[in-house]
Amino acid sequence: MLHVKNLTRRFGTNTAVNNVSFVVPAGHMTGFVGANGAGKTTTMRMIMGVLAAHGGEVLLDGEPLTAQLRAGFGYMPEERGLYPKQPIIDQLVYLGQLHRMSARGARAGALELLERFGLADRSKDKLEALSLGNQQRVQIAASLLHRPTVLILDEPFSGLDPLAVDAMVELLRERTAEGVPVLFSSHQLDLVDRLCDSLVVLQKGEVVAAGSGTELRAGAVQQHRLSAPPDAGWIREEAGVTVIDVEGSNAVLEIKDAATAQRLLAKAMARGTVEEFAPIRRSLSELYREVVK
Amino acid sequence: MTINSTRTGTGNGAAPQPEASGNLATRESSPEPPFRPWAIVSMREISVKAKDKSFRVYTVVTLLLILAGVVFNAFMSARGESYTLAVTADQGRAVVFLANESGRADGGNVSFASETTGSSEAALDLVRRGGADVALLQEAEGSWTVTGKNEVPAELLQLLEQSLRAYALDTNAAAAGTTSEQLLKGSELRTNLLEGDAEKQILATIIGFIFSFLFYTAAIIFGMAIANSVVEEKQNRVVEILATAIPIRHLLYGKVLGNTLMAMVQLALYGGTALLALNLTGTAELAGSVIPSSGWFLIFFLFGFLILAAMWAVLGSLASRPEDLNGSSAPVMSLILAALFVGMFAKGQILVLASFVPVVSSVAMPIRMLNSTLEPWEPFLALGLALVTAVALLRLGEKVYRRAVMQGGGALSLRKAIKLEH
Repeated sequence: MLHVKNLTRRFGTNTAVNNVSFVVPAGHMTGFVGANGAGKTTTMRMIMGVLAAHGGEVLLDGEPLTAQLRAGFGYMPEERGLYPKQPIIDQLVYLGQLHRMSARGARAGALELLERFGLADRSKDKLEALSLGNQQRVQIAASLLHRPTVLILDEPFSGLDPLAVDAMVELLRERTAEGVPVLFSSHQLDLVDRLCDSLVVLQKGEVVAAGSGTELRAGAVQQHRLSAPPDAGWIREEAGVTVIDVEGSNAVLEIKDAATAQRLLAKAMARGTVEEFAPIRRSLSELYREVVK
Repeated sequence: MTINSTRTGTGNGAAPQPEASGNLATRESSPEPPFRPWAIVSMREISVKAKDKSFRVYTVVTLLLILAGVVFNAFMSARGESYTLAVTADQGRAVVFLANESGRADGGNVSFASETTGSSEAALDLVRRGGADVALLQEAEGSWTVTGKNEVPAELLQLLEQSLRAYALDTNAAAAGTTSEQLLKGSELRTNLLEGDAEKQILATIIGFIFSFLFYTAAIIFGMAIANSVVEEKQNRVVEILATAIPIRHLLYGKVLGNTLMAMVQLALYGGTALLALNLTGTAELAGSVIPSSGWFLIFFLFGFLILAAMWAVLGSLASRPEDLNGSSAPVMSLILAALFVGMFAKGQILVLASFVPVVSSVAMPIRMLNSTLEPWEPFLALGLALVTAVALLRLGEKVYRRAVMQGGGALSLRKAIKLEH
């Protein structure tokens, strides 16, 4: 488990990251979301040690991070690009060697990753000869090659086509299944919904929500959908109910507590037909939109 | 999926590692070499450079030029030259005869023939028409004039002067009732020494040019390679990945080492080719005196290059794009040019002074060793100064590099970079 504790970073008078704490549980894909400039990249760079923190620390299984521990991490920085003029297999082997792999082991691993991304036949091409999407795939391969103990990926999906996203997701799932904590930032909320076991929401340098999907949903106000033809307008008059939206027979409601919900259901059934009365299972992206509103 | 990894840094116990046992097996079957990130970095520098087409073309072309130079030189010295001189009188014929003798002496292959004409005008006319290379005419008061059509070959002139001197000496000695041998008695040794020194001086100048030029090109080619490689990693943010994998100073030292090695190997290749070619063409007698100072040049080259390498690395880390280097490299370029010009033109006290200035000394000291006798401590002092400078600059370079290379945004000034926090 990766534990980020009270990380703080200032640039001049501007506090880019303020007292940020969250955990990335082992085996969890943790989405790191927030608007541009919220401090995601700064936080990730501090975790990786390429930017000094002005306060706080990062622990891996309770141990403060050292250069040696970080050397086992896989990192994909925000700005892309490896060596444009070097053949991709050569640079992957080089990066693998710098992560203590043997040249042979790195080559085998790199070829296998390239294979999975459909780039095996281009392994001798220079990086700059590849399309941006394919360069991105190579970048991902570079971060996964040395079987990292933790993955810190800054916008790993941006610029990938759906098939590449699937290949990447499959790879990441394999790694999380082995217990690797994965933290990735993304603006693509549909992906966040699909992939994340946990979410950390950053706003203006501070954590505004963090936890697993279940935790986040439990913390948010529960909404219900009611469908009671012919007209659900009567619901406006009920105590303990906040009406979000009513349109004909359909209403979206925030209900104060379980007792109120039961009372409401009984009343609706007494009035006529109830086609639907159910809690709305909200997506993480909706929760995200809610907390950063 | 299984990756045949031999990673040893287990790091933490959080992630179950199904490959762990596989790793162990691999490690047992072939003992893993110790982890030396700087060596991996320098290997990459070398292989990237060695695969670079323009670098390979440049090296091959230079090698061919060296070979061509040696072969041309051998060809020129083996080829017999013969000159025809238009003369008007017996004196002229006698001088030409003497010149012919000395041209053929000591294995020489320059021959002289005279063509007697009736008058000075006729002699000049013969030259004009191409029937003779030059006209050798004696004025009324006894002095001589050599007239060529549009040039007087230096070789011809040199031998003629010698012969005239010998002729005049003989004639005047006879007139004074003595002989030239009598007159020159006791002077033989001094004459030889003077000639030997002059010959060595010319050689020293030529070798000095070669040293200067080699240092200049290597300092630029391999120095630029360091700067470009640093800025490439900075621009593409590869450095962020590298910095999380290895201590960043390994990156710096790996680059410096890799390019220094390449520069030295290239230099040795050039030198070896030249020596080999000189030997094969049988023109190696002069090379013997060049070898000791060439050896010193290699050592001085190494130290001087390390200083420049540190500077180039700093420049690279301060830049944000390769184009930034054009402006910021001026101080290093002036230093390199200073070494070039000192090597080519400096004499006397300036050369002595320059031979102790780090970087410039890389060229100046070996040149001094060629053309004068030094105190034994002098090269060592110069080397010591260069070494101290190299170490200090590499340390400073490391400091700046570590701070600046992670910095995004525009180009940095040195002052700003030193103030940066990591």
